[in-house]
Amino acid sequence: MHVHELNPKKTVITMIIFVVVIIAGLLTIRSPRLKYALTPEQTVLLTASDDGGISPEKLELLLTGSTEKVEVIDIRNHYEFARGHIPGARNISAVELLENDNIKWLRILQEEGFTVVIYGKDQLQANGPWMVFRQIGFSNVTVLLGGYQYYLAYKDNKTQKYAPCKADFNYAEVAKASVADGEDNNQPAKKTTIVRRKKKGGAVAGGC
Amino acid sequence: MGPLIPQEIITGQWDFVIALLIGGAFGFILESSGFSSSRNIAGVFYGYNFVVLRVFFTAMIVAMVGLLYFSYFGWIDLDLVFVLPTYLNSMLFGGFLMGLGFVIGGFCPGTSYTAVAIGKIDGIVFATGFLIGVFIFAEGFPFYEGFYTANDLGSITIGEMFGVSNELVAFLFVMMAIVAFYVTWLIEKRVRKNMTEYKFE
Amino acid sequence: MNKNYLVLAILMILLAVGLLLVPERQNYQQIEPEKLMWDITQTSRFVTVDQVAQMIIEGDPTLELIDIRPVADFETFSLTNAINIPLDSLMKPDYQDYLGIEDMNVVFYGNSDINADQAWVIAKRMGYNSIYVMQGGLNCWIRKIIQPVEPDESASQEEFDLYQFRKGACAFFTGTKVEAPDAGKTGIKVVKRKKGTAVAGGC
Repeated sequence: MHVHELNPKKTVITMIIFVVVIIAGLLTIRSPRLKYALTPEQTVLLTASDDGGISPEKLELLLTGSTEKVEVIDIRNHYEFARGHIPGARNISAVELLENDNIKWLRILQEEGFTVVIYGKDQLQANGPWMVFRQIGFSNVTVLLGGYQYYLAYKDNKTQKYAPCKADFNYAEVAKASVADGEDNNQPAKKTTIVRRKKKGGAVAGGC
Repeated sequence: MGPLIPQEIITGQWDFVIALLIGGAFGFILESSGFSSSRNIAGVFYGYNFVVLRVFFTAMIVAMVGLLYFSYFGWIDLDLVFVLPTYLNSMLFGGFLMGLGFVIGGFCPGTSYTAVAIGKIDGIVFATGFLIGVFIFAEGFPFYEGFYTANDLGSITIGEMFGVSNELVAFLFVMMAIVAFYVTWLIEKRVRKNMTEYKFE
Repeated sequence: MNKNYLVLAILMILLAVGLLLVPERQNYQQIEPEKLMWDITQTSRFVTVDQVAQMIIEGDPTLELIDIRPVADFETFSLTNAINIPLDSLMKPDYQDYLGIEDMNVVFYGNSDINADQAWVIAKRMGYNSIYVMQGGLNCWIRKIIQPVEPDESASQEEFDLYQFRKGACAFFTGTKVEAPDAGKTGIKVVKRKKGTAVAGGC
């Protein structure tokens, strides 16, 4: 073969370097502590379903029934907790709940078949943490509909059925009060042209 | 970690330094593979020396497999790596034109500069011709701009175009390259046996 | 055939096969659960209906309103220049293009704020910044802007100013004639102590 071609020592060295790089890379892949069990698409489906919320009535049933395995977690801060909380609830803030010990505890609860109910001041406060826990893979975590304020109202028997996410008004009618003069500024007719920009690459390529 | 400059790990001023280092390494590899001789390069077309194919396919498969592994390790973000926009018509025509120049002159633009570096006269002539061609192209651009930008497919990869994953394309390419290496070795053996006027050491 | 060639070829084939077998790396750029939780506990992601009304009236070019209700609801009524991305289609690539635009502030809204918040969590997980949630949703919009409630006699001057603003906004959005505003409330100006501001009160 040509003298310009294969020099045994050079090739062995480069071969070894290449393989070492690949192996080093494989060994140093970080496995993150908490991994997502649900893809974003699955999370979207989760939000569309009605699963995962628990009403105060149902919670009462679970708490008073002696055989039900349920844990209630209050994610508000200590002062609000001290002022009033659901009996039997633990006070752990959302960020603390992601710490190692708590995660281990939650896993044990999941294996033993416990239902975990998270609540906050209103449903909005607990909504985000609930989503995160579902996405990490704790399918036994539910959120209290309406939060603590609805629970209190329920306890006082002065509440109607809680229906979040429903329109309370017929928007179209209410918003068009009297279109005497003045244009109705609510027409979605004039759409601003939004420039969609995808991420662009960096440097310019060359030829050969 | 990604590509270093787009992710701002090192500043943009390192551009030229990196270009110098990579260019130097590239020239070294070309020269030590024997590409500064126009006989070696034109050998692809006559069948007695396939070193061009071997070197470039090797570079391609190592780079492909390496990049995909790096992306798997998280060391590079493939979305930020530049992909050349594909203008189908002009690229097909340009490829044909470059092949023509390859055979006639026995160099491609990069290797002509390695030949200049070792002082070959035909390398110098080729490099000068190359610069003249670039000048003509730039000045005459308004005439064929339409042809140049026709059929723009955007910055797509082969995997995206056919709907398969990049890893599959890399695997198939490696297979094809290995087969090509073997086949060209056979062809070389056959052709060299019949060639008497060129002495192979 | 040189032995080295064979060894190299086999090595290359092995690596390529390994590439095929490697598990699919998630292509999304996601933020980790701990960071996501931390971002969720920041209440700065909420904007009030008053702030949104102000931005619409001023014609703020960075405002991008996203309506996450189903298409039918959107067609019946929506806020000015809002874009419709139904919540169940949030991850579709066409809609994802609306989220990453530089310098635009995205505000999610729905009937109430629960669904909008869920959209926010998913968008945040994908790594988008400058995304917000309109607190209270359209229900709150109607209650505050379209049907503002006049404060009692004992309310502070701030609340009266807010009420005037809301009446003006109401006129802007529905085209009703505005009655000549009675020149604020005369008399006692009780200056209340400013309380903490993370967006106060829902509806």
